[in-house]
This record gives sequence, structure tokens and C-alpha cells, in this order.
Amino acid sequence: MAEFRVRRYDGFRSYWQSFEVPAKRGMTVLEGLYYIKENLDSSLAFRASCRMGICGSCAVKINGKPRLACETQILFLGDKITVEPLENYRVIKDLVTDFEGFFAKHKAVKPYLIRKDENYEEPKELLQTPEQLNEYYVFTLCIKCGACYSVCPAASTLDSYLGPAAMAAAYRFCADSRDEGQRDRYEVVSSSQGVWRCHLAMECSEVCPKNIEPAKAVQMLRRSTAFSILRGILGW
Amino acid sequence: MGISGWFKLGGRSVFSWAFTFQRLTGIVLLIYLLAHLTYLTSLLDKTGATYESMISLTVSRQFLIFDLLLVLCGVFHGINGLRIIIHEFGFAHEYRKPIIAVAAILIVAVWLYASYVMCSLTGG
Repeated sequence: MAEFRVRRYDGFRSYWQSFEVPAKRGMTVLEGLYYIKENLDSSLAFRASCRMGICGSCAVKINGKPRLACETQILFLGDKITVEPLENYRVIKDLVTDFEGFFAKHKAVKPYLIRKDENYEEPKELLQTPEQLNEYYVFTLCIKCGACYSVCPAASTLDSYLGPAAMAAAYRFCADSRDEGQRDRYEVVSSSQGVWRCHLAMECSEVCPKNIEPAKAVQMLRRSTAFSILRGILGW
Repeated sequence: MGISGWFKLGGRSVFSWAFTFQRLTGIVLLIYLLAHLTYLTSLLDKTGATYESMISLTVSRQFLIFDLLLVLCGVFHGINGLRIIIHEFGFAHEYRKPIIAVAAILIVAVWLYASYVMCSLTGG
């Protein structure tokens, strides 16, 4: 048996509640949460979808650290497991947090290929070498679970801060050889809510379940932005 | 979460600890700077009596422990700051763990040496 201590929130008050969950080898924290919902307390609210570490919905704080509940095995954590909602987000109910702002920031950095010659009538094949793909490939693996944003000290003091995930997405497209929208994105990320706000605590890279190194992406974007500003000043 | 987010250490990695202590030592050094400027202002008293009375309080063996802690703050803030500068613009991000380990060793070594020198100068 494992003791699940879950941080509950009913819209008015926040409190801890304990549940006894029969833990089997290979059982994940998400399965434990489902066991609670199906057998002990159906009012428990949490997000989950794919159950295989792809959708990023089930990111919660497990034993003090943001993790994907579907990828975290109970027996690796011991008998006592604490489950809390992610920090830096408004809690809606129990483990469900408000991701509206997070996705709005993601949208703000224009996370798609921008081409000057976009013509859907006559589509053109855009060739890319393996080296060009490697420039950005790792950053395409982001699943938008929001774990990085939840531990970011800059995000904790400024709600409008773009955050590591949005800037990693911005870098992913800026580093893509097929993209021509760098100037548009630099304008967004070089604002006071962008790359210059990062304090380089690097915790985002430590908690990322996909190891995509968002802190590195932010710094690479900072470098590109700085050169872009410099080029603008020098008229190159 | 507000400013408390800067000082959250539970469940965090060594990088968050370094970030938090960088902030704390920065505040300590700022307070020290203000105290130092107050000291210098005491030189406006041409007789030197104010300066001498303050010096007799702070330059003493009893006060040495505070000086050592201040040096630790300065050494930590400086070396950790250099570590952050190394990673600025995305450099050596993959080597961040060995780099922070080297920085920690350097901080302890420099502080111990500085403490030895200071203790020697005060006749310890």
C-alpha cells in the first residue's frame, strides 16, 4: 500500500487529503490517481489523456518535483507520495491548473513556419540537410506540459513573462532553415517579458521530462536576438 | 507565487540553490555597500573621532566572523556570477553540472584561503 497525500482545492479552501492506494510493480502515479477517483473519491480532479508521456496533460508536482504522473512509477517513490498542482499557475480544482495564459504565450511567439513565398496553390518542397534538422530537432520534442514554467523564478514574479516553453518554441522555429519569420519573433521575445527577463536559474532544464533543455533555447534565442539588435544598430 | 518563488528550495536542483544564494548574497553585498558608504561619510568629521569609534567596533577579533561571512558572500557572488556568464548566450549548457561543481570547489578554496589570510592578519 502507498499513501497518497493529495493537495485538494474546492474553489474556496486548499487542504491535504490522504488516500491508501494498493501499489503494484509498474503502477504509475496516474494509475494511483485513477484508483482514487474510481474507488475512493470520485470528486478528485486531475488532467490526463494519453497515459504515455506524449500529451503533457498529467504534469503535477510529485514529491515536490514537477513530473508527468503517467511516467512516474509509484514504487520508485516509496510508501508516501505527495501530489500537488503545478506552481506558477492558478489552481482551478485540486490538481487542475489554468493553462490559458501558458498557451496564449505559446501562440504569441508564432510557433509555425513563416514563409514569404507561401503559396498553397503551388506548394514547394523545402529541402533540409540532417545538420540543419539537428539545429532545432530536440526542441520539437516539447509536449507543452508546463513543468518548466512552474519552476521558473522569473515567471513567479511576472505573470506576463513568456516563460521557457514559449521561448523554446520560438527558438525551434527561428533555428529552422525553412523559416523566414525570425524578425517577427525577435520582436516578441526581445520585449521586457522575453529573453532578457530570464535569470538563468536553469531549473527548467532540470525538470523537463523530455530533456529538451529549455534554458539553452532561451539563451540561444537571447544570442540571436542580441545579434539581430546589433545588426539593426549597425545597419547591416 | 510572487517573490517567494526566488527562495523556493524544496525539491529543486543545485541550480535553483545557486540562484537563490546569488540573490541572497546580492542583498547582503548591497547592505554592506550602504554600510561602507556610511563609513566613508564618517570621514566628513575632520577630527576622525567618528571614524575611529566605528573602526574600533568593526575591526576586531569579535567581528572577524562577520568579515569572513561577508567574504564568503563576495566570493560566492563573484564566482557563481562568472559561472552564469559562461552559460550566457547558450554556451556550455551541456557541461553545466561539471561547471557548477568546479565553481563550488573554487568558492570553498578561495574562501578558506581568504579566511586563513584574514585570521593571520588579526593575529589568529
